[in-house]
Amino acid sequence: MKKYLSILTMQIINNIAYPGDFLGRSISIATFIFIFAGLWGTTFTIANTDAINGLTFPNMVWYFMMAETLELGRPRINRTISEQVKNGEVAYILNKPYNFLLYHFSAGLGDGAVRMTLNLIVGSIVAWILAGAPPAPLGWLMAFVTLIGAWILHFCFMALIGLAAFVVEETNSFELIYQKLVFILGGFLFPLDMFPTWLQNIAYALPFPYMMYAPARLFVKPDVDLFWRMLGGQAIWVTVFVFILAFVYQRSEKYLTVNGG
Amino acid sequence: MSSIEVTNLQKTFQTKRKAAGMRGSLRALFKPEYNTVEAVRGLSFQMEAGELLGFIGPNGAGKSTTIKILTGILHPTSGDAKVLGFVPWKERQKLAYHIGTVFGQRPQLWYHLPAIDTFMLFGKIYELDDCETKKRISFLSEAFEIRDLLETPVRKLSLGQRMRCEVAASLLHRPKLLLLDEPSIGLDVVAKQHIRDAIRTMSQEEKVGVLLTSHDAGDLEALCRRVIIINHGQIVYEDKVSNLKRKFLTRKMVEVRYAEEVPPTFSIDGVEILKVGSYGVKLRFDTTKTPVDAVMAHLSQAGELVDITVSDPPLEEVIAKIYTANSVVE
Repeated sequence: MKKYLSILTMQIINNIAYPGDFLGRSISIATFIFIFAGLWGTTFTIANTDAINGLTFPNMVWYFMMAETLELGRPRINRTISEQVKNGEVAYILNKPYNFLLYHFSAGLGDGAVRMTLNLIVGSIVAWILAGAPPAPLGWLMAFVTLIGAWILHFCFMALIGLAAFVVEETNSFELIYQKLVFILGGFLFPLDMFPTWLQNIAYALPFPYMMYAPARLFVKPDVDLFWRMLGGQAIWVTVFVFILAFVYQRSEKYLTVNGG
Repeated sequence: MSSIEVTNLQKTFQTKRKAAGMRGSLRALFKPEYNTVEAVRGLSFQMEAGELLGFIGPNGAGKSTTIKILTGILHPTSGDAKVLGFVPWKERQKLAYHIGTVFGQRPQLWYHLPAIDTFMLFGKIYELDDCETKKRISFLSEAFEIRDLLETPVRKLSLGQRMRCEVAASLLHRPKLLLLDEPSIGLDVVAKQHIRDAIRTMSQEEKVGVLLTSHDAGDLEALCRRVIIINHGQIVYEDKVSNLKRKFLTRKMVEVRYAEEVPPTFSIDGVEILKVGSYGVKLRFDTTKTPVDAVMAHLSQAGELVDITVSDPPLEEVIAKIYTANSVVE
């Protein structure tokens, strides 16, 4: 376990090696929140209402802040794996005494921890200025608890896409499809509350809401029933995808070709 | 005791074939065609514990593929191999504790951080305690003369300095076997010498076996006792380096530069003159037929020497010679 903690720490150190780049990243989240706050502000004004499907303007801005923190903070592990396969670096990752997937999980967590922390700080300042005080402490607590499952699920998807690089090398197209599914059915662009019931039902039957909607929605409107439902859903999907990932990894190892060999 | 046993190892790859232009691209899209590349074809050899074995061949000969199979990264198409008693592709993680690897063209040190950070991380990964890791780093930094480089970000190091750090990092956990894939590629003469000296010292002091791939015959002469030459995935020669030198590395290429102009009719008996320039001469001779001292004496008598470079023939030429010798025997 110690070795994985060291990999995580090393990735954090690596991330803060360039403070300029580190701070520069925060500009994008500030810009996105500013634009979305403008769009939602106009929508609420035109609709002449305080709440749409139970969510107020401050709810929307803080929801988007949490969703954007996740989206921009999650490391693109598939790109790392794909790059390592293409440039042959995967040879070094595979011949060390650690589990390949746990290595990427730890490195990704180190990377994500730095990015998400920074996004959360900058995003909260901007959201506070544009939409007023942040959600209640219970919202923060529920968001952080569901963030764990959301992160593991995201890792499973990214790693599955990354493992495709063992066979096809280039995985950008798979990532794009995945990203759009999270944007729509995961509730990134709009909270699922905005969808008609039939579309909500379809979304809930898939893993995507548990990766994005769960922490963002519970953050702005903490709800004990929803919290347990989301945790339950995450537990099921994490179990399913961890098994799929382990199986696919075992199979794909045999197909690996390392460039430059 | 053998540290490596390889029996009839084969590895084939499928590579996509595509004709030039848009038509070729569309055709490849709807009706893909593949070439089967036989990277390794029935390789069998053994390596004793603590041995320094050279595994050389031209680009694309199958050297790196073999090393990657022996470290467990690639699965062979068929055949058997045991490295330190482990089947590499089945017991890769167990084997990893006992071997060190360096792939000359790929970095294992974290690029933006000082090498010391990677060394400490490797200490944790190989489950050494901090005290032992620090002692080991201190020892390796002396052996590889990298003490002053350890706290500099890796991206700021020269290739030669980085390679010394790379090889030192791969020895941190006291491996029994070091697999070096082109460790001297791209290095200048001085940096190559540095790396070779350090590898030789470590091998002698810690009894580490070294399997070294290279397409530079110089690495082989400087480090190895035994050599295996492969080409097109097959062994074409296996013998002591001293025998290889005696039989095939007999031709030397010499380039000299003089302070004054060289006459265009410049010649030496028994020496093939390849090029005569205004101030320089490039020549080639067989040391078994023309003594080195006679050639050198003649060159120094011809004028005031400014510069001289002696080199071995390229490996491709040595392989061609081995093929010729084999076909004469057959």
